[in-house]
Amino acid sequence: MEHIDSFSSYHPIVNFAYFLLVFAFSMCFMHPLCLLISFVSALNYYYYLHKEKTAQFLMKAVAPMMLLTAVINPAFNHQGKIILYYLPSGNPFTLESVVYGMAAAMMLSAVLLWFGCYSSVMTSDKFVYLFGRIVPALSLVLSMGLRFIPRFMEQFHQVKEAQAGIRKDTSSGSIRDRMKIAFACFSIMVTWSLENAIETADSMKCRGYGLQKRTAFSIYQIRKRDKEVLLWMGICSTYLLYGSLSGGLFWRYFPSIRGTFAEGFTISILLTYTALCFTPVWLDKREDRRWKLSRLKI
Amino acid sequence: MDRKMKENIFRIRRRMRRICLCVLILLCLTGCGSVGEKERVLQGRMEIPEDGIISKDIFRQLQEENGVITFTGISNDVAYEWTVFGSDLEACKDCNLAISVEKKDAQKIVFEHLSEENYGFPAVLSIYLNELWNAESAVVAQLNGTEETAVCTASITGSENSILNFPVESSVGKYVITPLSPAYASDEEIISTGEKEAEASKQEDAEKNSTNGSSAKDKQKEIETDSYLSSIENTTKEIVSSAESTGNRTVSDGKKVVQDEYLTDPIPEGKPMPVEPDERQVDKEKEYTCTFSIECSSILNHLEDLAEGKLDEVPSGGTILKAQTVTFHEGESVYDVLQRVCRENGIQMEASWTPIYNSAYVEGIHNLYEFDCGSGSGWMYRVNGWYPNYGCSRYQLESGEVVEWRYTCNLGKDIGGSNALGN
Repeated sequence: MEHIDSFSSYHPIVNFAYFLLVFAFSMCFMHPLCLLISFVSALNYYYYLHKEKTAQFLMKAVAPMMLLTAVINPAFNHQGKIILYYLPSGNPFTLESVVYGMAAAMMLSAVLLWFGCYSSVMTSDKFVYLFGRIVPALSLVLSMGLRFIPRFMEQFHQVKEAQAGIRKDTSSGSIRDRMKIAFACFSIMVTWSLENAIETADSMKCRGYGLQKRTAFSIYQIRKRDKEVLLWMGICSTYLLYGSLSGGLFWRYFPSIRGTFAEGFTISILLTYTALCFTPVWLDKREDRRWKLSRLKI
Repeated sequence: MDRKMKENIFRIRRRMRRICLCVLILLCLTGCGSVGEKERVLQGRMEIPEDGIISKDIFRQLQEENGVITFTGISNDVAYEWTVFGSDLEACKDCNLAISVEKKDAQKIVFEHLSEENYGFPAVLSIYLNELWNAESAVVAQLNGTEETAVCTASITGSENSILNFPVESSVGKYVITPLSPAYASDEEIISTGEKEAEASKQEDAEKNSTNGSSAKDKQKEIETDSYLSSIENTTKEIVSSAESTGNRTVSDGKKVVQDEYLTDPIPEGKPMPVEPDERQVDKEKEYTCTFSIECSSILNHLEDLAEGKLDEVPSGGTILKAQTVTFHEGESVYDVLQRVCRENGIQMEASWTPIYNSAYVEGIHNLYEFDCGSGSGWMYRVNGWYPNYGCSRYQLESGEVVEWRYTCNLGKDIGGSNALGN
């Protein structure tokens, strides 16, 4: 089996647990350094997986969302002690709300980047493998539903092209005509999706879906390295949980910015967090290094 | 040979990278220990011992930890509390916090500080009465033999039994607290309208609009000739005499029984009717003055309910803006003045326009927001002793009115304003 990086060749449970942890921590830790660590490591991993596509993703999805969040928050949130100026509504525009807006933007973009990595590492076969036994119906519906959207878009594009070929173009003509054509396209799509559903159901029946005692083939097995990474993740997350619950990552944005920074405890938590976030890249680099060294020994 | 060299280069590079990373992280982190001042901590309640002496060690600890503590005591069946903020303390010494309540009846409470010297720090004394004082505020006066000299006013909170809160500057001697309900211009309007109705009930409607005119002034003169004994009421009479009609505000006759289009219950008789914001004309040339204050002393009695992180925002005396005279233009509402006063004094204030009430709703002042001190908490306003049952954008101010913004922890019940929220 081909893998994009070494981390995605690990057992699905390792991948899934890792992303679950990273999502949770990215969303819960609002300490600015935690957000920075999460963002930088997510960007790093995304670049590792997608290379030159990263810039496009950043420009098209991450940057607009960051800008939107950073601008929208101070427009609707007026808490804070340091008033910069007053908005036309009469409410104050505060420094704290600007800072919080930037933090929220950082958090959202980090999560977005992590999701980008998740979708290329946790492929749907891994997801179905993990949840096929616990929630068979749900995992099937999820993976089918998620696949349906791009398929629908593809088909819609094809139908539109075909209609344009028989001089039923939606890009010109009066509004009434264009509406007519659009409705026709939509009706074709509905028919197609219904037909598609019947075909899928038949196909599944032919392949023996729903039979008792039917097993699915998989080549995943938990090896020593999976156990090691699981253990490492367990240690890191336990320490992070303990640290954040005991106030080591205390940070408050409202009504005035307060928080811990350079205390030993906080630094140790931040270092742990950095280590956890950079784990996939680090694993892959280690693999690379081993490969190079072993090649040198030949 | 060549291979070994390459291996060595690999190792060195790796080490260099690690060292660089460590140095970078350390540089990033060793800027400052923490951001911002030390946060205030609520340290709960502490009973005052029988001799009343609180040792300086406790105060020092309070100062070091930037704590807030409530010292409780009972004297002559009257419970009292001192709220001490560690940030107010300067020099720490042993202090006798006990007071002895000597006399209490419905109209008066006399107490004596058992301390022989001033504490040297401001603290708020809260006295829990066993009855309800139906007054707006109370006057604290120092007793010298039989002579009374007013020191400060105490705010009255508490829903069933009144709680008197006031800052103590001098903690020696005997004090007397009496309830205060000053007479305002609006109270006289009740008298005048009432009399007029008796005189000519048929011409009621025609006259209602001119109630604020000359006839009201005649009545004022009559009332001014009555002798007011207390010195405090003399000061409020000045407010009464300076009251005059501004803009198109009318007074309620109390006869309406249904809600208006903005869900406002009928306005009690003698109270001003709301003036819609789009009907008001602000005349910048006519300037008037009113008295304006913002306070949140009810929070001091409910510190344990306060939302996390908000303790820093509570002023130690409970007063955000001391009562002061502010100027406004004809046709301005309470909200307009609040907005301007907050801007001028650098006080944070957030409000949102609420179309169904056709008014702005004040969500928070001084970073103390609605729901910050329990589910029934928020800001209310009182003008001339009455909590209007409509929004502050619909209350058109008149000259000489007394506007108070007060924080409630229990839907207005604790600050005598439950009427404003209807039944």
